[in-house]
Amino acid sequence: MTALNRRGFMKLASASGAVLAAGAADIRPALAGTIKLSQSGRSFSPTTGKERQAIPTACWQCVTRDSMIGYVEDGRVVKLDGHPESIRTRGVICAKGQAGINTVYFPDRILYPLRRVGARGEHKWKRISWDEALDEIAGRMKPLLDAGTPEKLMYHYGRNKASQSKVNGDFLGAFGTKTIGNHTSICEGGKWTAQELMWGGHYDNWDFDNTDFVLVFGSNTLNTHTNHIPVAQRLIDAHVGRGVPMYVFDVRLTDTAAHADEWIPINVGKDGLVALAMCNVIMSEGRYKRDLFKFMKVTADRNASVDEKIAAVKAGVAAFTPEMAEKDSMVPADKIRELARAFARAKSGVVVSYRGTIAHQDGADQERAMMLLAAITNNVNSPGGRCQGVGAGWKSPKSKAGQKTGGKVKALNINDGFPGQVAYPTHHVNHQVLKMIKDGRAGRPEVYIWSCYNPVYVNGEVEENKAIMKDESLMPFTVSINIVYDESSALADIILPDVTYLERWDWEDMVSPTQVAEYYFRQPLIKPLGESRDTGDIWVGLAQRLGIKLAWSSKEDFVRQSCNMTPGVKEAGGFEYMKKRGIWHDKNAKPDYMGFMSKIPASALKKDGVIFDQATGVYWNWKKAKAQSADEAMKVGYQNTPGAYKAYVGQEIDGEVYRGFKPDKVNKSGFLEFYSELLKAKGIPAFPTFTPIAEHTAMAPDELHLTTYKVAVHTHSRTSHCKWLSEIYHDNPGWMNPKTAAERGLVDGDRIRVRSKHGEITTHVKVTEGIIPGIIAISYHVGREFSGRYGSGKADPIPGTMADDPDFKNKWWDRHGVHPNVLIANAPDRMTGQQRWMDEVVRVEKA
Amino acid sequence: MAIARKDMAETAAARSAIYGFLATVFRAEPSAAFLARLAGDEFAGAFASLEGSLSDQLIATDRDRLAEDLAVEYTRLFIGPGPHISPHESVNIDMGNALEASFWGTQTVKVKKFIEATGLEYAEAFTDMPDHISVEFEFMQTLAAKEQEAWAEGNAEYATNLLAIERRFFDEHLDRWVPRFCDKVIAEADLDFYRAMAELTKQVLAFERQNLATETAESQTHA
Repeated sequence: MTALNRRGFMKLASASGAVLAAGAADIRPALAGTIKLSQSGRSFSPTTGKERQAIPTACWQCVTRDSMIGYVEDGRVVKLDGHPESIRTRGVICAKGQAGINTVYFPDRILYPLRRVGARGEHKWKRISWDEALDEIAGRMKPLLDAGTPEKLMYHYGRNKASQSKVNGDFLGAFGTKTIGNHTSICEGGKWTAQELMWGGHYDNWDFDNTDFVLVFGSNTLNTHTNHIPVAQRLIDAHVGRGVPMYVFDVRLTDTAAHADEWIPINVGKDGLVALAMCNVIMSEGRYKRDLFKFMKVTADRNASVDEKIAAVKAGVAAFTPEMAEKDSMVPADKIRELARAFARAKSGVVVSYRGTIAHQDGADQERAMMLLAAITNNVNSPGGRCQGVGAGWKSPKSKAGQKTGGKVKALNINDGFPGQVAYPTHHVNHQVLKMIKDGRAGRPEVYIWSCYNPVYVNGEVEENKAIMKDESLMPFTVSINIVYDESSALADIILPDVTYLERWDWEDMVSPTQVAEYYFRQPLIKPLGESRDTGDIWVGLAQRLGIKLAWSSKEDFVRQSCNMTPGVKEAGGFEYMKKRGIWHDKNAKPDYMGFMSKIPASALKKDGVIFDQATGVYWNWKKAKAQSADEAMKVGYQNTPGAYKAYVGQEIDGEVYRGFKPDKVNKSGFLEFYSELLKAKGIPAFPTFTPIAEHTAMAPDELHLTTYKVAVHTHSRTSHCKWLSEIYHDNPGWMNPKTAAERGLVDGDRIRVRSKHGEITTHVKVTEGIIPGIIAISYHVGREFSGRYGSGKADPIPGTMADDPDFKNKWWDRHGVHPNVLIANAPDRMTGQQRWMDEVVRVEKA
Repeated sequence: MAIARKDMAETAAARSAIYGFLATVFRAEPSAAFLARLAGDEFAGAFASLEGSLSDQLIATDRDRLAEDLAVEYTRLFIGPGPHISPHESVNIDMGNALEASFWGTQTVKVKKFIEATGLEYAEAFTDMPDHISVEFEFMQTLAAKEQEAWAEGNAEYATNLLAIERRFFDEHLDRWVPRFCDKVIAEADLDFYRAMAELTKQVLAFERQNLATETAESQTHA
């Protein structure tokens, strides 16, 4: 092209003017108003003073969801900090929280609806309008209503909490589908189910503020707990401030182990065995506390006396001597004795356990062993012990369910694993969903929508996940709601631009470590960027197109109504109060301890429908349980009536009726159940035991355990696009003990190939004494195929150098890690459906 | 003097038209109707006289199909998903400071404040970032239109000051990143259209670099 001269410029202008004049509506103006310059523009200055606003809101980088203050300057979020009035966080947030700004402002953010125009995975997209997107999705959903098969709409989430969860559930219920997938089985579902089988509710809060002793199993509590900031700072206060002893059992020298009185290396999958051996010491040496036995069920006889129960527990753990445990676990018998005695001697104590303990075959049994250790030392729901978490109890508007399906809300049976695979999948078995879709016998969703989730990347057997999601005959229509192009949205048919959590409304309810509920709030710091839209508002658009009436007109309206109807928050000033303050708790509330000892008033037992179940000693309401009749309910019994736990009233113990350990999700009694009729009914040992893990027993001499782990500055899959976090952590070498490395001729930094039955990865080795022999440990946040330029390190999903902007040149790191999930089977635990992350075995060789 | 002022007014009007055209090109995917107008004699002729290749596709092919293909091309080049050629000043400009050269960074604020300091504001319905290339072009279009109006009304001081603002915005913003942005588009475009438009944009900016300097100097004689 030749250079423009004045003549050419004027000619071009004339032609341009003609083009524009003929099509006045080509674009809508970006700018409004008129130019107004004082003094005819003589003193024009584009520089003005800054105005900084402080707005209360809440984090969402991880599930801890700390309350925060967001600072906005010139319409831009410039700083995030902890909310100083929070009783949970005491004004602290973590590095992930600070980097929340990166989730709003990153150059790869998805800001418009996109429709696939090439083959799945070809990365060929076209921007479409919201109307086009919603019309197309509604057009796929409507036939499902017409055919009476609303369950063929599946919504799958990775995190779905508080108002987000209620909004999603409300719309999907109104549509008529319960085919709602989660991700809990790849997280800590096995722990929750184990707790539900014993305790009732799930989620343990560890009362570090009041404790006198801390035992940690398989948890990097200081760095990565699901209630990270609230508990980590209190553990530090306890250990450093008050000198509370802390002992950490782990295969790795984690940050938590490094700060403990002692790191006790332990073989993979043996936490429960050591806990049972500690129980053995405490019981056999008479160091137990009797207090809780009355409320425990430890044999088939619910009327057993405390002495009989003590004898039964003694007998139950008799086989697990410290010497026996030492043989398998590598923990010296003397150490087991020493710590068991010290723990029993302490006034109070906390037994911490997490994924390292439970992500195994029968991991739930290991959790039961942990709870037994806490129970026999009277450290359950007591000050300084392991307590049931207390979160906020919000009220929210509800829409009529099944509006086009005669009130019916149905589900495809693909969330709980294959028939007979899992005994109690109370938190679903969602790492099996894609396999079940492939199998097809339980039906397949016609429309699969996901948000805050990355099914390809976060589950095991990554390559199989990819192949299934790519196959249009298996998954005919897929929609990803996302802020970044990732391994799964690359296989969607439509991508909808999600808002970030700094641009949306929510009420929040995460557990408080003080045992007093905290009600808190999330509000937009800025207007959503681009055309990003809250999922709640996407539902509104779909509901309008499908003729579904929702009890709320927008996500903001849902949150407003919730604030204005929730006791406590309402009286404080409701929505307007929360917008201003962001947080509320009842200043007169007492911490919730020992609630199981409360007696149920006689009047409650005389209410219409309340009956007594002889087998379990449970009072329950047959009407509330929707049984046919009182007689039928009595005949079938509490335990065998579906959903009877929802109608639980109280537990009869020694002639009195107590609140007990109220059941949730399974029909257990109101006892703290260590003898589980429910497990027995499924052919699983009723009392906690230790069962060797099949894969481990069958290991060849040259095989290694593979263990995966989290780090403090990343979530599993949703932070690698954050520049600051990936700058801190972007590479994940395999940790290996010097002995194990030497056996393979490896030295620190060597390239290695790690192989399993499911795949192969190449990384480098970090040789360290901070890990036991016989294993390799690889973290699981990085090794991204796509997740923005900072996550994947790739300039483009397709060849080219389009992303070579100036800031990208500041990315000094060139390693982006590997993804260990490629190696790991999608294999559920038989008791709970927990993904068995820690049971995989691999071979490692020099690459 | 009056004739010279008329020249100034004509130049301002021309500048406004060209920036308006560029704003339209980069704001969104082109419609088939817009493409048809480009293929018309006047625009195609103006373009051909610059020895530019507007694209045989534009002349010969089914324009609905071309519009569809260009929508995909626009998405790939300027929207994503995944890395793309960000059409935002803050991502492209190299100020030697990571905070400024980042998406919706402080450089975006500078653009926004510059525009708002003239009394203009961002339309509620506008959903892209404040420093989108098309906004910067639209801003120049609006300033130049006002300048032309001022010349026509005989308000030389106002017109001169507006021209100075245009030049300042050009120097401090457009010219510091758009040529490089255009080079990327020229390198990455699969279809002729955006390569041609990027080449044209570069030529316009090159002309303006000289033109604005000359015009500003000349305008002083009228003020």
